[in-house]
Amino acid sequence: MRLDGVTIEILKNRFQGIVSEMGQTVLHTGHTVFIKETADFGAMLVTPKGEVFAAPLNIGVTVLIGKPMDAAIKAIAEYHEGDICIANDPDTTGGMATHLPDLFVWKPVFWEGELVCFAWTFIHASDVGGKVPGSISPSSYDLYQEGVVLPPTKVFERGEVVQPVLDIILANCRIPDQNWGDLKSLVAALNTGERRLHEMIRRYGIDVLRDGMEDVLEYAERQTRRIIRDIPDGDYEFSDYMEGEVAGIGVIRIKLKMTVRGDEILLDFTGTDPQVPAALNMPTKSKNGHWMIVPALVKYFKSVEPNLTYNSGMVRPVKVKIPRGTLLNPEPHAASGVRAATMFRVFDVVSGALAQAVPHQVPAAGSGQGCIVLVSLLDIDSGQNKISVVQPLCGGCGGRPMKDGLDGVDFSLGSLRNVPTESLEREMPLLIQKYAVRPDSAGAGKHRGGSGVELVVRCYTPNTVVTARGMERYRFRPWGLFGGRAGTTGFTKLRRGDGKTEDIGQIDILFLNPGDELHFGAQGGGGYGDPLDRDAAIVVDDVRNELLSTQAAERIYGVVVRDGRLDEAATETTRASRRVAAAPAWVDFGPERVAYDASWTPALQDELAAMLSTLPSSLRHFFRVRITERARARLSRGERVDAAELRAILESLRGDLRVEAAASHG
Amino acid sequence: MSPSYRLGVDIGGTFTDLMLLEEESGDLHMLKTPSVPGAPAQAVVDGIEKLIARERIAPESIAYFCHGTTLALNTIIQRNGAATGLLVTAGFRDVLELQRLRLPNPHHFYADKPKPLVPRRWVREIDERVTADGVVLRSPDPEQVRREAARLCEEGVTAIAICFLHAYRYDVAERLAKDAIQARFPDLYVCTSSEIWPQYREYERALVTVMNAYVGDRMRRYFTMLEERLGGLGVRCAILSTKSNGGVMSAASAGERPVQTLLSGPASGVIGSLYVSRLMGQDHIVTLDMGGTSADVAIVSGELPYSTDSKVGEFPVILPTVEVSSIGAGGGSIAWTDPTGVLKVGPQSAGADPGPASYGRGGENATVTDAYVTVGIIDPARFLGASMLLRGDLARAAVRRIGETLGLDEHEAANSILQVATSNMYAEFLPVLASHGVDPRDYALVPYGGAGPTHAFLLAREVGIRKVIVPPNPGTLCAMGSLVADVRGDFVRTIYSDCDELPDAQLASTIHELEREARDWLAGQGARVDDTVLLRNAEMRYKGQSHEIAVPLAEEMRTAALVAAFHRRYREVYGYHDEAAVVELISLRMTIIGIVPKPILTRLLHPADADVAVRQRPVYLDGKVWNATVVDRRALSPDVPLEGPVIVEQYDTTTFVPPGFRVHADAFGNLIGEAD
Repeated sequence: MRLDGVTIEILKNRFQGIVSEMGQTVLHTGHTVFIKETADFGAMLVTPKGEVFAAPLNIGVTVLIGKPMDAAIKAIAEYHEGDICIANDPDTTGGMATHLPDLFVWKPVFWEGELVCFAWTFIHASDVGGKVPGSISPSSYDLYQEGVVLPPTKVFERGEVVQPVLDIILANCRIPDQNWGDLKSLVAALNTGERRLHEMIRRYGIDVLRDGMEDVLEYAERQTRRIIRDIPDGDYEFSDYMEGEVAGIGVIRIKLKMTVRGDEILLDFTGTDPQVPAALNMPTKSKNGHWMIVPALVKYFKSVEPNLTYNSGMVRPVKVKIPRGTLLNPEPHAASGVRAATMFRVFDVVSGALAQAVPHQVPAAGSGQGCIVLVSLLDIDSGQNKISVVQPLCGGCGGRPMKDGLDGVDFSLGSLRNVPTESLEREMPLLIQKYAVRPDSAGAGKHRGGSGVELVVRCYTPNTVVTARGMERYRFRPWGLFGGRAGTTGFTKLRRGDGKTEDIGQIDILFLNPGDELHFGAQGGGGYGDPLDRDAAIVVDDVRNELLSTQAAERIYGVVVRDGRLDEAATETTRASRRVAAAPAWVDFGPERVAYDASWTPALQDELAAMLSTLPSSLRHFFRVRITERARARLSRGERVDAAELRAILESLRGDLRVEAAASHG
Repeated sequence: MSPSYRLGVDIGGTFTDLMLLEEESGDLHMLKTPSVPGAPAQAVVDGIEKLIARERIAPESIAYFCHGTTLALNTIIQRNGAATGLLVTAGFRDVLELQRLRLPNPHHFYADKPKPLVPRRWVREIDERVTADGVVLRSPDPEQVRREAARLCEEGVTAIAICFLHAYRYDVAERLAKDAIQARFPDLYVCTSSEIWPQYREYERALVTVMNAYVGDRMRRYFTMLEERLGGLGVRCAILSTKSNGGVMSAASAGERPVQTLLSGPASGVIGSLYVSRLMGQDHIVTLDMGGTSADVAIVSGELPYSTDSKVGEFPVILPTVEVSSIGAGGGSIAWTDPTGVLKVGPQSAGADPGPASYGRGGENATVTDAYVTVGIIDPARFLGASMLLRGDLARAAVRRIGETLGLDEHEAANSILQVATSNMYAEFLPVLASHGVDPRDYALVPYGGAGPTHAFLLAREVGIRKVIVPPNPGTLCAMGSLVADVRGDFVRTIYSDCDELPDAQLASTIHELEREARDWLAGQGARVDDTVLLRNAEMRYKGQSHEIAVPLAEEMRTAALVAAFHRRYREVYGYHDEAAVVELISLRMTIIGIVPKPILTRLLHPADADVAVRQRPVYLDGKVWNATVVDRRALSPDVPLEGPVIVEQYDTTTFVPPGFRVHADAFGNLIGEAD
């Protein structure tokens, strides 16, 4: 590092103050509900090479570390003082933007005619056009359905707005005025950042500032390398599934081999399923330290070292390898609106690998779902269409080494706020019957998982349409660790006005009639550690708080509760009789995944992935779905399937296609 | 006629401060006495006895008594309040658990959210429901309410909060439930959300109701006892309590609504600062309250800043509260170096025990206070008016240890600690400025608390503030605030209606109803009031938004005029407006202010005390040794400025004026520092 340990700390604090002030400026001047309520925006300072050297900790979103700005910077031929650029295109920004609603806006900061660095912001715009209001639909199958595509371009040139560009952008949005209002708040924040940087340069000198940018990055890097050195060298593999049934794309696997060598980590996602014709793709461009790949690592680093400097230096030691054409590195123009759902699963996969490397420092899987439930209906008086978020639905987080998971909230939605029932019922003709913690849902463990959440919504207007994006973990449970049990899956039950109830699972789009009642259950997180080791007094507490039934206390925890009190003697006997000598498996996936993996084995899935990777990426998904179908049908009949068999299926499918083609032409 | 007095008391964690003001002359008399944690009223009574004996005044000549206490706040922070139950609408048992989802610190795996004050087993569902429009789907069965209350009592609950859905507007069910409980259990402390703060958003409203119940019984008993004890001493005047909104209320009101006292301490400091600075014609100020463990700022732009999004411990509080933001730690913050060799200050604090190394109580860590001592800002022999001797050798030794890891000598190391501490404050302060949209050059910094004046100029020059006003008694400014605060009550009605559906008559009748409530409240406070001011605000927004802005409401205002005023106000704030959009009126707020007669503070008529010697002392700052002028506060004469570096010593703090600032005393005894 170029500067001394005092100056670095002072500059780091200064930078931190500037980005926080920029974030606060967006919040203070922004217009849309998205800014105010969900705080889905960010403010950063970025080096000329494209690394984030400062990001706020307490304002806006928490996923700014590892945003790659290099491609966006290079895409602009020449910068002048007063320029402001905009982009949202995942392809030409090299994985900076990962879905179209995120509008990135940046400004070069000059000093005496020379470029020093960039002030940078982004906001999740409430609408950027596309096929549905809000621009995000799980069933979009290419980028063009998701809104206006903006490759990096100037929206201000030397301080003057570039009207044609702005006009085209706004003409493609459903809410041009609000978007322009929000863009202006980003511009205000960029100007604030620029002004403060100029003050710093005047105070400390341009050379110190330039050195300072590099040094704070290097500082974070050194701190992180020290943390990584304490992780034992090795290869750690983990995989988990996305549940794409509702989008018609079946179960999708994300596979990771995490290699730790010295003070570096390689995240290799080879073996992950091909990209899909749905909005779940995550266009990372396989960038090292990519911000949607690293959140679990960033949280881990921050847990080990709370004072860790918060900038992209901390992901310099994290290399990423993702084959092209896969879910996590799709070819250009792939739909990616709901890529956050994928990010949550990547979080689980990285956590799962990490849990093997540093067994007592990582929580079990949380609910793994960040689902946004939207209702659209016709107002019975005005006849107008109304749309509102009902609630963000997530369940509990996983049980943690040393403590229980949190009830009703997971890290995945940790920065989002819910909607007060009193506000929702004023805005929308709906009756919320229940919004509460879901008892008996937590994965059991010495430290249990967080309980899930239940939401019951009663509809009383015609033409009510419910959509949900990001519903996951309806089939495979959040996993438990080191004796902790897997948590519970989510559910959706529909009770029609006539009293019939059906379990409808994941929702894409659902039409309701007056009197219909929709009952959501979000997942309970996985448990951590052997339930028999759980403090009996805490088990009794859970029983008295009616989070755990008396029967479950005895069945799962071996704790006998009579009349709300602990029966110590009976508990001791019960627990002693349950203990087994053998250590439990380090992970509990729950019976559903065990059964799935037992027939459609990871080895077969590896074979298939390798085979598909030799096909053009545009064809992989087609063949993956059909080969999987046929192979699993055979397996379910008790027939053996091996690698050769998979190849045979592929060839036969190809043959069928040729026959089909010949027939249609003939 | 014998002179009459005002007595202001501030009960802090360590000390109870008393400030006695002679109304005619404006003379002030101060007393500090140790707080008695187990029996908070005791310190008040002890202090008054001492003070009236010392000043030889008759107890009945105390015409005004106001005090601020952290009793309610500490009860919540230490979580030792009443075993409290909560009754909620069926289906919403976990309102306290789910909160608003957002985690306070989502950055690491061990993040937590605030643990509710009421355990789930004491939250009971009542089978009742009213819709957002006021249609009663189910009315509560008094028998069920009594049954649940009885079960809670069996489990040892002594206070019950009631919060039903939509009770901000439809409070019949809550009243019915409260009556049912009180008829059967007259000794229980019971309060409803509609009486505590009838605002929509069930979590926040339930929370203030629960907090009120949690501290209610203790506070009611405390005020009753204090009244008895003071009566026993012969003090005849009404007892007033400070409030989080910067006003005061009667002890009886405080017993009923103790939740309104939670943040009264910081509020009193801001009131005191504003009073002092207004006397000299300055009403755009930033207050800085810095003690051993915290540094807090408030930004005052002519009017007191209010927030309805404050924090008590980890909990949000929606009651109108003087807005104070923490910008980090205080004089006890510990300096350390991390393995990369970078210097850090805080967040750990040495607190009061063992305290900084220089306290000589076994603290080994170098703190910000030790850095003050090492660079020469604080004279260890004259700390707090020599009431506490510091160990300069221990301070330097601790700082030297930090220096060794950085390759710096003790002076450079101490100076570095101060710079890093200041940059920490800078990082927290900047976003506070941005959230108020203000330019620091237009503001004066008013520091108080033990370390405020010591660090104020260092912070001022970092953030671009050019003027610093150090009040005469920075250590007892909260007690001062309680002497000059007005009686102030806030009232709210949730309307939640589209403006085009709101008849003028309904608007008018709601305003009149609020006004009557406010005036009745003021009349019941028993304070002498010179004048009454009513502030009316409408909280409005465009339909579909989730945040409101406040629109001042004229006395007789029709809905159409209100909507026009909203568009104008919106344009002022956001730079545009939308005539075509539907406007919603969310709530009406009324603040009543009973202006109490203000004391006139003594002007410094006498010349500066020339007998007090002016000395010199080396101070190490910014890489240089400076020969600082050291003066006693009493020796500073009005209108003869001194050039920094200057150190001003007084019994309750040390003011440090770095090079680049000039300082003089004004006619009221304030120290005025101005950048060159």
